[in-house]
Amino acid sequence: MRWIYVLTEALKGLRRNLMMTVAVILSVTVSLTLLGASLLLSEQVELATDDWVGQVEVSIFLCDGRTCPEITEEQREQLETDLEEHQVVEEVFYESKQEAYDRFVELFSDQPNLIESVDADVLPASFRVRLQNPQLFAVIADEFAAYPGVEEIVDQRQVLDQFLRFTNVIRNAALIVAVIQLVAAGVLIANTIRVAAFARREQTSIMKLVGASNWYIRLPFVMEGVFAGVLGALVSWGLLWASVPRVAAQLRQEIELMPFIGASEVIAIGPLLLASGAGIAALASVLALRRFLDV
Amino acid sequence: MIRLQNVTKTYKRGGDDEVVALDDVSIDVDKGEFVFVVGPSGSGKSTFMRLLTREQFPDEGEIWVAGKNLVSLRSWKVPMLRREIGYVFQDFKLLPNKTVYENVAFAMEVIGKSRREIERRVPEVLELVGLEGKAQALPHELSGGQQQRVSVARAFVNNPRILLCDEPTGNLDPTTSVGIMKLLDRINRTGATVVMATHDQHIVDSMRRRVIELENGHVVRDQSRGVYGYAG
Repeated sequence: MRWIYVLTEALKGLRRNLMMTVAVILSVTVSLTLLGASLLLSEQVELATDDWVGQVEVSIFLCDGRTCPEITEEQREQLETDLEEHQVVEEVFYESKQEAYDRFVELFSDQPNLIESVDADVLPASFRVRLQNPQLFAVIADEFAAYPGVEEIVDQRQVLDQFLRFTNVIRNAALIVAVIQLVAAGVLIANTIRVAAFARREQTSIMKLVGASNWYIRLPFVMEGVFAGVLGALVSWGLLWASVPRVAAQLRQEIELMPFIGASEVIAIGPLLLASGAGIAALASVLALRRFLDV
Repeated sequence: MIRLQNVTKTYKRGGDDEVVALDDVSIDVDKGEFVFVVGPSGSGKSTFMRLLTREQFPDEGEIWVAGKNLVSLRSWKVPMLRREIGYVFQDFKLLPNKTVYENVAFAMEVIGKSRREIERRVPEVLELVGLEGKAQALPHELSGGQQQRVSVARAFVNNPRILLCDEPTGNLDPTTSVGIMKLLDRINRTGATVVMATHDQHIVDSMRRRVIELENGHVVRDQSRGVYGYAG
């Protein structure tokens, strides 16, 4: 197989059909940008939820003497025992002030300003509770709110739910549009390749009769599609790389206490975007050529 | 080299309307033979040629070409079959934007021959067809006879065992045709089997080679050292 021949033929084809090539590249760009955006959004949600609250459903924050009298050792042990013995509780663990601060530092390691502004002493100690059934939050809240030394009981799921519902809607919408757009891009590629094959039908008919192998005949056309697909993927990668970290930086200023994805996550999805662009283009080209160039 | 055994080929022409192109035809062509296939339009000549390159598939019967059974041949092996066959068309089918040299070299390039081999072989074949001075010319700068020589050169450049010629002189004047026939004769003498479909009575009569006449899908005559028609 002579690769120079395959590549020059593919490039020639792209140049000959410049308008179509531009349309293919743009359409691949749009679809892969949306696909990339929805993937990044998923990662953002994962980052925010997993690291933020983990599997914890209820946080029981303990008094540290700031707004209410500090919890005593005795009260704390009593609370822990009662929680462990309670029938709706699956798991309980204690997080001391120091542990809370360590986790905070780790979580926001990319925002030194935020860490500096928070004293190691400020974050309250808490019991983190996982329930057998997350719906039973009210039972815990009712029963333990009145315990001495308990400052506040927070249903983490509720805090999260709104956030999750919102991001899920956006992510799914982006995903649906991305898939539709990807199909459209595939059809456009198939059509472009068919036009290209038709324009060169004399050449291909001669190639067939002198015994060029099927792949030798097809590969320039497939490469033509793959070139356009990869180019579209590169552009979408670039767009995401230029925009996502900026948007994240903006949000970071407005929403405190939440970790955000950055440029490294965008760079990491690049290979996937390239593979999708090349894959959809190759698939569309091969399908377009299957009947056209059969022996 | 070529063997058809009880071959039938029909074409569907919408609905139940069928055209029988070849009806129970059996033909044997030995290695190194020169055969004319004659007959009026629609007699089955083109179908016969197309069956040999596996552009068409027979409805019934067996076909062997260059030792390959075409009925059981897997489609991915068809390119290998076609490398044993050179094909010359009535309308030359040269690539208009390639020079004479490139047109001939193209047939070698696309089956993956090395540059060195191409650079050695193409001038050799251009010399054989008498176009050594025209290597850099474009097809439209050549006469019809010269274009057909390029087409023959392209068909022969990969040393095929069989040369199929579909009315190669159909677009040429008589004098030019004689030149092309001399060329095909020379190629035949190198050992290649030549099968030529033609309407050209003068050529058939002057060459005195084997003639197979088709009519309505049947072999009506198969004669060594034959002429075009009974009248001649």
